[in-house]
Amino acid sequence: MDWGFLFSARLWFFVLMFAASGIVLLTVVWFERKAAARVQMRVGPYHVSPQLGGYLQLLADAFKFIISEPIVHKGAYRLLFMWGPAIFVTLAFGASLLIPLTPELRLIRDVNLLPYGLVFSLVVLLLVSIAIVLIGWSANNKFAYIGAAREALIVTAYELPLLLSFLAMVILYGTLNPIEIVERQWLAGALLNPLAFLVFIIATAMATAKFPFEIADYEGDVATGPYSDYGGIFLVLSFAGGAYYATFSYSFLATLLFLGGWGIPNFAVGSWPQDMLGHLLLAGWFLLKTTILMMFFAFLRAAMPVLRLDHTLLFGWRGLLVLSILAVVWSVVLKFVGI
Amino acid sequence: MTSVGYIVKATIDALRVAARNFVKPERITVYYPYEKLEYVRMRGWIGLWTEKCTSCMLCARICPTNAIKMYPAPNAKRYPGVDYGRCIMCHFCIDICPADALYPTDIKELAWYNYREMIYTPDMEREPPKVEETYKYVKVSIKYENGIPRKIETVK
Amino acid sequence: MREESYGLVLGERDLGAGRRVLDIFWGPQHPTSGHTRFIVEVDGDIVVNVTPDPGYVHRTMEKLGETRHWIQNIPLFERLSLPDAINVTWAYALAVEKLLKYDVSPRAQYLRVIMGELSRISTHLYDLGLHGIMIGSSTGFMWGYGLRELLVHLWAMVSGSRTTPTWVVPGGVRTAPPDAFYEQTKGFLQYLEKKIDEFVRVVVKNPVGFYRLKDVGYLSKEEAARLMATGPGARGSGVAWDARKAYKYGIYDELEWDICVEDGGDSLARTMVRICEIKQSAGIIRQALDRAPREGSLVGDAALHRLPPKLREKANEYVKLSGFFVVMLPQGEGTGITEGGRGRYYFHVFGDGSEKPYRVRISTPSWQNLRPMIKAFIGSRLMDLPAIYGSFGYFPPEQDR
Repeated sequence: MDWGFLFSARLWFFVLMFAASGIVLLTVVWFERKAAARVQMRVGPYHVSPQLGGYLQLLADAFKFIISEPIVHKGAYRLLFMWGPAIFVTLAFGASLLIPLTPELRLIRDVNLLPYGLVFSLVVLLLVSIAIVLIGWSANNKFAYIGAAREALIVTAYELPLLLSFLAMVILYGTLNPIEIVERQWLAGALLNPLAFLVFIIATAMATAKFPFEIADYEGDVATGPYSDYGGIFLVLSFAGGAYYATFSYSFLATLLFLGGWGIPNFAVGSWPQDMLGHLLLAGWFLLKTTILMMFFAFLRAAMPVLRLDHTLLFGWRGLLVLSILAVVWSVVLKFVGI
Repeated sequence: MTSVGYIVKATIDALRVAARNFVKPERITVYYPYEKLEYVRMRGWIGLWTEKCTSCMLCARICPTNAIKMYPAPNAKRYPGVDYGRCIMCHFCIDICPADALYPTDIKELAWYNYREMIYTPDMEREPPKVEETYKYVKVSIKYENGIPRKIETVK
Repeated sequence: MREESYGLVLGERDLGAGRRVLDIFWGPQHPTSGHTRFIVEVDGDIVVNVTPDPGYVHRTMEKLGETRHWIQNIPLFERLSLPDAINVTWAYALAVEKLLKYDVSPRAQYLRVIMGELSRISTHLYDLGLHGIMIGSSTGFMWGYGLRELLVHLWAMVSGSRTTPTWVVPGGVRTAPPDAFYEQTKGFLQYLEKKIDEFVRVVVKNPVGFYRLKDVGYLSKEEAARLMATGPGARGSGVAWDARKAYKYGIYDELEWDICVEDGGDSLARTMVRICEIKQSAGIIRQALDRAPREGSLVGDAALHRLPPKLREKANEYVKLSGFFVVMLPQGEGTGITEGGRGRYYFHVFGDGSEKPYRVRISTPSWQNLRPMIKAFIGSRLMDLPAIYGSFGYFPPEQDR
C-alpha cells in the first residue's frame, strides 16, 4: 500500500483548516467573552476549566446545545428550516477552503485555477446572507421575517463597498492569484491602501452581523431575528457557530488581501512535503493574523451599541461607497505612480 | 454635531475607554460558594427563645405575609413558628416582640427540598439551622481604594 | 406548502386608503418588552400605532393595602418598585405622618435624604443599564448593574437587606447606619462619578449610541405637559418640575442642588437628565453626609413617646415597631408625594379610626408615563422602540401596581 497520500498537500490542508478553524473559533469566542467581561467589571467563563481560565466553556455550551432537542414548529417550512443552518455553515466555512493556506497547502491544485478560487470564495461568502434570508423566511414568524428583510437590506449597504475594496486591492496587485498577491505585498496591503482596508473591515462587520451592525438579529425589537425559532443544533450551525465561521472566512480573506497572508519577509519556503515545518510555520503565521483580526471584531462587542437600520443604509451608501470608490482611485493612482 | 470629525473622535474615544477597562479591569465579582460577601448587617433567619416568650402573639399579628403561626405547647402556651416559604425577612416580628424572645441572625443561605421543610415549628426555631458548608470559603468585602472598588479578604 | 396558512400577508390588515400594516405583538415574552405587551402596528419600518396591553403583573396593591394594618403596608408598597424602594416607602410614610400628625426627627430627615438619593441613583442606574442593553450595549448594562450592586451593599449596611430595605417608617427611620457607611458611601460616590463619565463616553456619546437616541421619540414640551409626563420624561422635554422643589418635603430646600432639565425632548435628552440627576444626587448625598448628625433620635417626638421607655433609650440606634403597632389611623386623610427616580410617587391614605387604612390611593410614574411614551412611539422606526422605551425608564411592575 502506498502511504504517500498521508503527505498529500490537499489532505493536510483539509485537516489543518478543520482543526485550526475549530481552535481559532474556540479561542475567539473565549476571547470575546473574557474581553467583554474584563471591560464589564466581571470575570466571564471560569468554572469550566478554572486552570485554563474557562477556555473550555464553549465546548460545554456546544455540548449542551447539541444534546438539546431541535424543535421544528408547526408553521415552519420544514425543508428550508432544517437545511438552512447546514447551508449557512457550509457556505460560510466553504469559502475559506478555496484560498491557499501556504503556497503549496491548498485545495485547488491547478495554479491557473487559483485566481478563480479567490473570486469564488468571495462569491460564496456573499451567498451567506441569502442563507440567512432563507432561514428567516422558512421560520414563518414575524420577527424572523423582519430580521430576514433587514438582512436583505443590509446586503445592499455592504456588498458594493466590499466588492470595490476587493477590486481596489486587485488593481493594486495587478493579479488575482493569491500566491502572487502575497508576493506583491512588500508592504502589508493595509498600509498600501488603508482606505480599502477600512472599508473591508467595516463591510465584514456588517456582513457577519458583528457589533455595531448586529441589526438583523437585534435582540431589542426582533428577538434574534431570523434565528428566533432555532434551538439546539440549528442554533449552533447558524447563529452561534455559523456566524463565527463566516467571520473566520472573511478574516481569512482580509488577511490574505491586506495583512500579507502567509508571507514572512526574507523567509523562503521549500517544496511540500520536504519542508513540512516551514509550511506549517507559514500556516500558523497566517492563522495567527486571522485570529487577531477576528479578536478585533470580537472586542467591538464590549465597546459598541447597535446602529439603526436606516443609519446603516445611509452609512453604507454615503460613507462606505464613497470611501471604497476613493480606495479604487487611490489604487489606480498608486498603480500609475508605479509601486 | 453631525460632522464627520465628531463621529470619528467619539468612536475612537469610546474604543479607548473600552480598551482602558480591558487593560485595567475593575472587577467586583465574588465567587460565591468559595467567597462570601460580608455585609455589615443582614436580616436573616429568625430564632426563638421559648423561655422568654409570653405568647402575646404580636409577632403573628404584625407579620405582613402571615408567615407566623402560633403552635400550642404542652404548657398551655402558644409559641410562634415561621413558615419560611412566606417569610420576607422584614424582621417586623423581632421588632414587635416585647420580651425579646425572637432574635435575629444573619443566616440567609436557606434552601429546602420541599415546602413542608420550610414550615418551622417553635422547637425548630430554638437553634439556628445547621448550614452545610459544601465548600471551604473565605469572607470578603468590598472596599474603596483610590476611588476603585477592591475585593478584600476580611481577616478572620 | 399551503398558501392560505403560510406567510405574513394575512397578518397585514387592509386599513383602507391603500395602507397595509403588520401588527407585531411586542411582549410580554420578549427580551426587552418587560412584563407588558405592546401591540405595534408597523407600516414598512415606521410605527403607525401602538396599543399598550398592561396588567400582566397587577398585584392589587391598593386593595391589599386596605386589608392590613398600616405598618404592614410598608413591606408591601416597597414592592411597587424595588429599585426605588426608599422613595416609595417615604411617600407612604409622608402620607401616614400627615394623617397621624407625626413629626420627623432632624437626624431621620438627613438619613432619609441620603437613602432617598441613593434610591434615586439606584433607579437611574437600573434604567440606564436596561437602556444600555436595549440599544445593544452590553457594557452599559453591566456597568449600570455593577454599580447598583455596589449600591445595594450600602443599603444592606444600613437596613440589613440588599433590595428590600423596609427602612422608612412614619416619623423617622428604622435603623441608624454604622460608622463605616459614611466612608463607604463617599468611596462609592467617587467611583460612581468616574464610571458614569465612562458610561457616557462608551454608550451615550459613542456615535452609534448617540444617533440611536438623538431625535428619537420626540415629545414636545406642550405634549409632555398635556399628557402629564413625569420624572425624566417631563424634564427631558423642558418641563422643570420636580416634586422635591415643588413640595419641599424632607430637607431638600436646605441643600444646594439644581433641577436637571434638557430641552431636547428626545431619548437623548431624557438619558442626559438621568445622568445629570445622578451627579446632582451624588452632590446632595455629600452635603447630607457632612451635615447629618451622628447622634439623635431616629424618630420624631410623637412616635418616640409611643415607645416603651426601655426602647426609647435605644432610639438612637434602632427603632422597634411596638410603638407603631398600637396606633390607629384617625378619621381623615393624608397625602404623601415624593420624587422617585422615574417621577412622582403619590400616596393618598384615608383613615377611618381603625388600624387598617380605609383606602390607599397610589399613583406611580410609570403609569403616568405610559401615555407620553405611546405618543413618543408613534412615528418612530421599529428599531427605535427599545431606545424610547428605555429612555422613559418604563417599569411594568410599578405601572400595574
